[in-house]
Amino acid sequence: MKSLRTGVLLVSPLLLVLAAAFVVPLLLLVPTSFQEYRPGAGIATDSWTFANYARIFTDEFYREVVLRTIGLGTAVTASCLVLGYPVAYLIVRGDPRWRLPLTLLVIFPLMLNLVVRSFGWIVLLTNRGVVNNLLIDLGLIERPLRLMFNMTGLMIGLTHIYLPFMVLMLVAALQNVPRDVEAAASTLGSSRFHVFRAVTLPLTAPGIIAGSILVFVLTISALVTPRMLGGPTYQVMATLIYDEYMQLLDWPSGSALSFALAISTIFIIWLSSRMTRRWAGLA
Amino acid sequence: MKSQSLLAAATAIAGVIAAPHAATAQELVLGSFGGSFADNVTACYIEPFQEATGATVITKLGSSAQHAASVRATAGQSDMDVVFADDAFAVQMANEGLLVPLDRSKLSNAPEIIDGAWGTNDAYVAAMLGATTIIYNKDTVTTPPTSWNDLFDPKYEGRVTIGDISGTTGWQFLAAVNQMEGGTLDDITPGVEKIKPLAQSSVLLYSQADQVVALFERGEIDIAVWYPDRAGVAAKNGLPLAAAYPVEGAVGIRPTIAIAKGTSQEDLAHKFIDTILDADNQKCFSERQFIGPVNKNVTLSDEVSAIVPTGEALEKMLFLDPNDMAARLPEWTRRWQREVLR
Repeated sequence: MKSLRTGVLLVSPLLLVLAAAFVVPLLLLVPTSFQEYRPGAGIATDSWTFANYARIFTDEFYREVVLRTIGLGTAVTASCLVLGYPVAYLIVRGDPRWRLPLTLLVIFPLMLNLVVRSFGWIVLLTNRGVVNNLLIDLGLIERPLRLMFNMTGLMIGLTHIYLPFMVLMLVAALQNVPRDVEAAASTLGSSRFHVFRAVTLPLTAPGIIAGSILVFVLTISALVTPRMLGGPTYQVMATLIYDEYMQLLDWPSGSALSFALAISTIFIIWLSSRMTRRWAGLA
Repeated sequence: MKSQSLLAAATAIAGVIAAPHAATAQELVLGSFGGSFADNVTACYIEPFQEATGATVITKLGSSAQHAASVRATAGQSDMDVVFADDAFAVQMANEGLLVPLDRSKLSNAPEIIDGAWGTNDAYVAAMLGATTIIYNKDTVTTPPTSWNDLFDPKYEGRVTIGDISGTTGWQFLAAVNQMEGGTLDDITPGVEKIKPLAQSSVLLYSQADQVVALFERGEIDIAVWYPDRAGVAAKNGLPLAAAYPVEGAVGIRPTIAIAKGTSQEDLAHKFIDTILDADNQKCFSERQFIGPVNKNVTLSDEVSAIVPTGEALEKMLFLDPNDMAARLPEWTRRWQREVLR
């Protein structure tokens, strides 16, 4: 009992900060999300409606944006995992001399501002950008490829930006896998691939779960990169919420969308961590 | 004893530091637009104002929509004292009771301002007259365009940019094309149908006016729906741009200035607005920004008159009722997102 009380006392400053800076403002938005917005006149504070939530499910456009956002989150997470795992493996299991330079290479992009990194991709991917100009000069294509304002551009940009998070999580997980276990499996006649699949991979599951959740959540809530690489034409939920608030001044719809995003995020995280835990034999 | 004298000394020092502050507490926060607009506001309005009053002006940059959103977020105690916003957004703020009505008796230049500039109950005043029209590259487009229809000409396919509806040119172009195609403000279907293929083949739907400068610079486009004032500034900086006013009429823009509710500086804010309405300052701004003045006593140079809508172009110009537009824009935006962008 005493240790519980000490524990509560120890985290209470953090709880207070979280409550004041995060929970309270969020709760203040709850009533707004149930109010009606009258264009030109403002938010009708005396109204009470479910229409803002109903629209997310009935309106085809909203539905498309929600599905697109979740699809983008999943795709970016998958590509970060596929690209990040070999790098993490190389950092932990590779030549120790390479460890520092590789780690620095992974971390370095994090030191650059997000806007700068997104702008870099614009320079590369735009119609008359480096990539298109090169392809045209080489005679491979005649008209510039559309690399921006669509899924391609967002996938490239977001994968690049969130890859370091995934790698760092995987490095931590791989370092926790004792080499003896792998060695034991090999001694018992397992092939290298089988050792990796049956021993290393499941043992790094906590890192995979943590990294995937981190990348997924960051991707579906990203605003700056989708704004810059997706433009007004390719909307995801974060940019849609921004538009509802800042362009349409329709705060009720924006709030309803925000809550829908938050709830679906929590649900997907819960579901995926359950599934992965079962696969890794942790449940 | 020692601690007491220390305290006294500290109080004295604090007093010295605080005293000049109390004297120059005259600080005005202005919500302005970015780019060349902000530079010219500083040169033509802020500097004369600071010289005359000794007050300092701090600017906060953003678009009309962003300013309106932040004025609402801090309802009644805005962190901005005066704010620039396009008229539809000024009306929206006025309707929500977020503006302090202007007191003409405190504005010595008020009698010189054209009638159309004032909002209902003097909630705001237009500070300048801009337009949404066709801007083209003189080097690549030999025959100047004469109609909105020229933008749809196949020879420009993939060499055009238009604005997204989140910007002024976006919804104004939609209104103009809709009118040309026989639609009404209640029924924008003809406009939406007509623009859809153009929007999809256009190089990009710009959301910030200055993106167009880069497109012209890189030679990605020949023709754009854009602002003559931005084009004028870009032309002065060496780009071969010219403005064409379509026979159907360009669309008028009235960027307004208003006082946000909750300001503790009402008098100072009025003085600043008076500075903006002054004929000399208006001329300075119009000449630098290539935008129409609202003060009747301003005469412009030939260079600026060539870009700013005058005479017939001005008479034909379509002015949309901001009150009406404030109520319609969300619906237009929703249709745009659902039908034009997909």
